[in-house]
Amino acid sequence: MHYVQVLILGILLGGVYALMASGLTLLFGVMRVVNLSHAAFVVLAAYFSYYLFAGWGVDPLLSMLAALPLFFLLGAGLYRLLFPRIEGSPKFPEMTVLLTFGLAFVLEGLMSYFFTGIFRTVNTSYAREAFTLGDLFIPTGQFYALLTSSLLLTGLWLFLKFTRLGYGVRATMQNRDAAQIVGVDVRRVSTIAFGIGMAVAGAAGALVSFIFPFFPSRHWQWIAILLSLIVLGGLGSLKGAVIGALGLAVISSFVSDSIGPVWAPITFFGVLFIVLLIRPHGLFGKKVRI
Amino acid sequence: MTGERPLSPATAPTAADATGAPSPAAPPPKEARRPSGALRRTVLWTAIAVSVILPLWRGMDSYNYVLQLGTVAFMWIALTSSWNILGGYTGYISLGHNVFWGVGGYVSGMLLLEFGWSPFATALLAGTVAMGLGVVAGLITYRTRGPSFIISTIALLLVVTLLMDNWSYLGGSNGVSLPLVPLDVTWIKVPFYYAMLAAAVGAVALGYRVAHSKFGLALRAIAADEVKAEVSGINTRRYKLMAFALSAFFPGVTGALWGYSIAYLRPVIFLIIAMAARMVLMAIVGGRGTVAGPVIGAILIVAFDEISITWFGGSEINLAITGALMVLILLFFPSGIVGTLRERNRLPSWLDWD
Repeated sequence: MHYVQVLILGILLGGVYALMASGLTLLFGVMRVVNLSHAAFVVLAAYFSYYLFAGWGVDPLLSMLAALPLFFLLGAGLYRLLFPRIEGSPKFPEMTVLLTFGLAFVLEGLMSYFFTGIFRTVNTSYAREAFTLGDLFIPTGQFYALLTSSLLLTGLWLFLKFTRLGYGVRATMQNRDAAQIVGVDVRRVSTIAFGIGMAVAGAAGALVSFIFPFFPSRHWQWIAILLSLIVLGGLGSLKGAVIGALGLAVISSFVSDSIGPVWAPITFFGVLFIVLLIRPHGLFGKKVRI
Repeated sequence: MTGERPLSPATAPTAADATGAPSPAAPPPKEARRPSGALRRTVLWTAIAVSVILPLWRGMDSYNYVLQLGTVAFMWIALTSSWNILGGYTGYISLGHNVFWGVGGYVSGMLLLEFGWSPFATALLAGTVAMGLGVVAGLITYRTRGPSFIISTIALLLVVTLLMDNWSYLGGSNGVSLPLVPLDVTWIKVPFYYAMLAAAVGAVALGYRVAHSKFGLALRAIAADEVKAEVSGINTRRYKLMAFALSAFFPGVTGALWGYSIAYLRPVIFLIIAMAARMVLMAIVGGRGTVAGPVIGAILIVAFDEISITWFGGSEINLAITGALMVLILLFFPSGIVGTLRERNRLPSWLDWD
């Protein structure tokens, strides 16, 4: 029973990681953008929820609905502002890493300045509660987070699978040039996809705000975990990101249970290194040269 | 790009390297610029001579401050020039390069604590250990390219941070204090100043040697197109590992010196990603893949830091400005100062060290 409990806690954690990682892998898949500032935006969204809650008592699950369009616009604007300029550069993915690396520092610096470095968390009524299912103990907050993130991920999957725009996004992911030839407006699709990726980050921020304590520089730890996840799943593979997130979160919760919680993060990096040694292009990635 | 130059597929890298034979593919415009060599040499030697003589002027106002500033600038020149071997010439961007800096600091610091060996004596050893770690890190990460490589360097940094944070022998996240240099306070900065100066000169010289060797040419070929480079008979794996190892040496050395000068080893001092970001920023400002770029970038950013701290005090705004600078330079001058000037044929001859 103890192991089932650990497994469940791992899955609960993995759901939120999956949501954060899906936005990141979408950006890479569609635009070949590795967004090192992704987790910084998640933290920004967490502060958005925090201040709405502290000021007006708005529930994070409600403020998430506001964060979705806001972060969509932010993402779309950011994409148009930054990326067309470097689109022609020969090493575009590397350039995006450096560019978003800088962006992450801008965000971190500004957040530290305005919001201070104090640990924050949103104390909703359910954040500290738990219910029991038989002998199993399930934290209510994390359960809500998992539910929300599954809903959003399903929505994302339906969008990609069944809408016209989703076809465009997937076509662009598969082959940018060919998509352009068959009439996909790649620039528009990219802008929208960037917006969606950021909207997902915004939603993840709202969830993070009540399940993890956060502070501005926390994002480095998260981005490293997320990047490990998406490299593991194969850069640009949505399925890989979700499976990677759930699998690794479960492994890390077993590590945390048997060795100690301090070592949980090392699971992600350790598995990343092992996978890189065996399969450099990730578990679900196609062998593409970039 | 340089990779388009003919690379003779028949030459085995080892033999050519050992003899150091001048190859027809050495940086071509060099001969044409010969006359300007004298000016460049004069400027360089004057800069070194002034740096060497400066501490003799003991009557100077805020003597220790000036020496400290020099020490910091030399350290960043050494760090950025080393980063440039991997991130500039080879095109493999490492965002975890301060790992080697931190390891150097810990190696020399612990040798001082355990055996009383002065870090001035063990700095080269620390550099060698960092080099060894560079090979190990390279063995794991060199199987990936582009974004995956960058990501694995960040993961490397976090793994090392986690280990250091929890290794009680090394003091964990609280770190360990080191004994101070047994010198009077008016002399305390002098040995660090000279040692860092030596490290900076060594790192720039190493960068120059690499840029002007067949080895460096192979690295540039890898940066331009790794598959073509491999097809041309370059043993890309070995060369990438060597580049990784070389670029780890001087960070190890400067880490040893820096740890001793602040007399405190702590993961949060050495292993924060902002330190790696500074190396990247300096290299980008000056110009990646050039010899002079990291030097110019390091001097400018160190000077900028001093001004910005005076104006804004807090480090939060400084962090935001660092990031904003990086974004702006990447957007508008991706080749950096030296690279942009060269593209426009405006590079003054004394700045052209390639």
